[in-house]
Amino acid sequence: MKSSTVVIAGIMFTAVGIAGFADDGLLRRNLGAASGASGSGEGVQEASFGLVDKGARSTVPEYQQVAQNTQQPAAGTTRPQAAAPVVDESALRYFASKGDTARLQAEISRLRALYPDWTPPKDPLAVPRNKDVQLETMWQLYSEGRYAEVRKAIAERQTAETGWKPPADLLERLNVAEARARLVNSSDLKQYETVIEVAAGTPSLLTCSEVDVLWRVADAFVQTDRPDRARDAYLYVLKNCESAPERLATVQKAVSGLPYDMAQELLAFERTAPGGVAEFESLRDDLARRFVAEGDGDGKLAVDPKYIQRLERLVETEGLASDALLLGWYQLRRDNMAPAEQWFRRAHDKEDSASASQGLALTLIARKAHEDAEKVLYPWRDASQDAKATYFAATANLLAIEPPVALSEEVLARIAQETTKGRDPATAQQFGWYARAMEQPATAAQWFTTALRWKPDDEPSAYGLALSLSQLGDTAGVVEIQRQWAGRSERIARLGETEEERRDAIARQQQPPVREPVPATAVQRTEPVVVTRQPAPQTTTRYVTEQPVAVARQPQRTVRSATGCRTSINPAQLSPQAALNRGWCLMDLNRPLEAAEAFEVALQAPASQMREDAAYGQSLAYLRAGLTNKAAVAATRSKQSRGRVEELQSAILADRAIAAFDAKRYRETLIFLDQLGQISTQRTDLMVLRGYAYLNLKRYAEARRIFEAVAATGNRDAQRALADVSKAQEIWPNK
Amino acid sequence: MTWRSVLLLALGLVVALPQGHAKAEGRSGTVSAEDWQSYKAKFLDPGGRIVDDGNGGISHSEGQGYGLLLAVLADSSADFELIWSFTRRELLLRNDGLAAWKWSPSEKPHVIDINNATDGDILIAYALTLAGERWKRKDYLAAAAKIAKSILDETVAEYGGRTLLLPGVAGFSAGDRDDGPVVNPSYWVFEAFPVLNRVAPSPKWKALQDGGQAMLDALQFGPRKMPADWVSARTRLKPAQGFPVEFGYNALRIPLYLVRAGSDDTALLSRLREGMLGEDGDLLLSDVATGSVRATLNDPGYQFVNHILACVIERVPLPERVKVFSPTQYYPSTLHLLGLSYAKEKRPECL
Repeated sequence: MKSSTVVIAGIMFTAVGIAGFADDGLLRRNLGAASGASGSGEGVQEASFGLVDKGARSTVPEYQQVAQNTQQPAAGTTRPQAAAPVVDESALRYFASKGDTARLQAEISRLRALYPDWTPPKDPLAVPRNKDVQLETMWQLYSEGRYAEVRKAIAERQTAETGWKPPADLLERLNVAEARARLVNSSDLKQYETVIEVAAGTPSLLTCSEVDVLWRVADAFVQTDRPDRARDAYLYVLKNCESAPERLATVQKAVSGLPYDMAQELLAFERTAPGGVAEFESLRDDLARRFVAEGDGDGKLAVDPKYIQRLERLVETEGLASDALLLGWYQLRRDNMAPAEQWFRRAHDKEDSASASQGLALTLIARKAHEDAEKVLYPWRDASQDAKATYFAATANLLAIEPPVALSEEVLARIAQETTKGRDPATAQQFGWYARAMEQPATAAQWFTTALRWKPDDEPSAYGLALSLSQLGDTAGVVEIQRQWAGRSERIARLGETEEERRDAIARQQQPPVREPVPATAVQRTEPVVVTRQPAPQTTTRYVTEQPVAVARQPQRTVRSATGCRTSINPAQLSPQAALNRGWCLMDLNRPLEAAEAFEVALQAPASQMREDAAYGQSLAYLRAGLTNKAAVAATRSKQSRGRVEELQSAILADRAIAAFDAKRYRETLIFLDQLGQISTQRTDLMVLRGYAYLNLKRYAEARRIFEAVAATGNRDAQRALADVSKAQEIWPNK
Repeated sequence: MTWRSVLLLALGLVVALPQGHAKAEGRSGTVSAEDWQSYKAKFLDPGGRIVDDGNGGISHSEGQGYGLLLAVLADSSADFELIWSFTRRELLLRNDGLAAWKWSPSEKPHVIDINNATDGDILIAYALTLAGERWKRKDYLAAAAKIAKSILDETVAEYGGRTLLLPGVAGFSAGDRDDGPVVNPSYWVFEAFPVLNRVAPSPKWKALQDGGQAMLDALQFGPRKMPADWVSARTRLKPAQGFPVEFGYNALRIPLYLVRAGSDDTALLSRLREGMLGEDGDLLLSDVATGSVRATLNDPGYQFVNHILACVIERVPLPERVKVFSPTQYYPSTLHLLGLSYAKEKRPECL
């Protein structure tokens, strides 16, 4: 009798402890109400309140302490009025009448726990049946789980019989049963706050006889980022509950939801069976896997070496590639590259996988074996975003090696294809430098341009492009880049600074060897060669630490062949991706209106990156077709990166300014130029335009000031314009 | 008399209500025992679930709310307990304290959409408040207060100068839809607002009431000048995208709600009546763009809406055949009982 009291009291106490975490106040109110309503004898009330007080004081339930405390009440010291409790035996009688011995036994245990002085009937099955037929029906409905109907029956009887009260036992059981169902429903629907609220309001649910409920409450705590409270719930089971399968399952659930340290706390409550076997022995292998895996994700986690060793032994005995992988990542995360490589190789050789190849490639990259890394990862490049990112780390690094590695045509071709397919600006940029090192400035310019399209703020690519254009003699192209990067890049601004330097450079760079045919899309500028003697850019190690952004979405320029869109088709039938490709292809053929149509189709794409590209492309297409207003509309049809927004707005405003000037709307011209000035530095040709706008508005002083400033840079248009101002002013007095 | 002065009167009545109920104790409900019995036999399953037989036997928070309300009106505390037990255990599961709206007997978990339906929540909280006051049940009042507060916090939104009632917490707001916020004018259960203000006092209830009235005044689509079931409040009010552009099964209960709430805004009631009145009191559903008739409903429950309007506006007594309740389908039969209850309580001259 005593022992069951202790167990129940301990359970209640700890249950209170757990629930107390959720809401002490609510819980206290609830318990108060429950015991007040129960009318089951003051002894019980006292015990409950005492427990609540202790529960409120202690944050971690202490089973031992409660056990000691509650042994005394059993001896009668704190239970002075427990002499004559009214024990409600109606449930007992009901279960007995049904021959339901399991429930009968449970009810006897429960009543004993509640009323230590109560003596159960000698032959429970002989207990007289309830004479109250209606009550009998209520118990029957209850035992069938028809709780709503019990509620109805109670209310019906209360209406019919004034003053009738249902047995407190029935009400309490009904409350608990309904709460349990509601908790399970909320848990199934992932409404975790409700789960916790119900549990807090029904502490008597949180006992060893309802381990499933405890698990659900613990899970609710895990799901709502309160692992310490989840830990307490699991701890409760391990400290108090006896069922071996439930204890085992508790540990399995706990370690899958809780962080490593808390899992260790729980495992400390493992028991040893009489035969000397630890009760969670059967879980050991999986525990080792689970903890090493957590170490894979968290490089700072100190996993007990016993788990590492156990897993290492497992690889030897069972030879699973997945176990070797766990060890590989664990070591990699701790920068132990040599053992990591060894484990990844093992996994790779046993059963190649994206993860094994990716891990192996990372260790190869770490020891600068980039060519091997590319080769290992190539078959797995599309397996995941991560694999793709690692592949591009390998390719960017491979191309960045100095002096450049001689790569086979095949390798270069596949890297180029993957780069364009994956739109990786880092590798594209490194292709640019690689091409420059191979003395192919036109190809270099093309790659840098491509990299800039994917990453408009990529200064090294802009710099590389400027260098290459300069080498190709495209002065206008260089100036344009300098304008775009004014204030953002010192080295681009200083490119080709003095005449002497330029001449020197030209002398040294007589015949730029172009070994590759320039594709149709290459830079279309053929002005005199301006070369710089800037030192070779230092880019080689840049991408070793910086993971390239690798979002595979769209093939681009070098893949598109100009023949790919020569035939006329209705783009509406194309997939968004195909339409986007066709749009760029048509732009290359300088068929902007058809390109705009193709981009229109691509604008229906679900992927936002594709829509962005399509809007950008359509805007460029309309600009090229001279349809500035349409370009402006197109530019707003999808979110654009800041670089693109500025590029498009600048182009649109410049076109509008010129159009306004052509239409002799000079004030409007100035407004557009003012707007343009707010987002980008002024191009000299537009400054000249501004001057002429002033001139036409007869604002001579302002016109002269502008022309003088521009003429000072050696600009011929401005010098001529100055003469125009003088002429206009000369004519003026004559009129 | 204007709508607002009626409201003031209604509010006055509301203040007096608790005493009224105290006096009314022991009296039978405004839904007769026989009518309630035949309604239950057809639509209330033994476990406390109101079955929508017109929708494949599913249940929803609206149905549970109507069931609870009818149980109060029938003065059946036992049935209220039954329906409430089911509702709380099976639907009142959301973290925010609102009810999941859709429950299917054939699926597991039974709740097949965890989103709420705000009219269901309003009906449940409203019925709980009435029940709590009538039968002195603090637990009902506490549950009502919790739901009512959540309705205010989660579904009442200010947008473009309007106080709106979002039909669900998820999926209808300005952020959720291009034409959002989208509302359902028939979710404004006008009679509930002053009652809910008693358990969860807030100026928002009055704002909802006034906003709803202003909205109904503005909703005059198409040649019939009728409200649509689903309305976008993004800019000016217009039928929402992706829903049938019609005065349909949702909106048809608006006039019933209005009269139950005590409105005698004859301009509004007459406009609605003219737009939906068919031969012999049939109720016309119509395309709000063209005005063309989409369906002619002759279920006595639907017809009742037209007949009660005729009585309120023109003092025409209800025809004999709609005074008798005989259950047909869940939805029209529910409206029928709500209408009969109103007539019995407030318009004995109509009977």
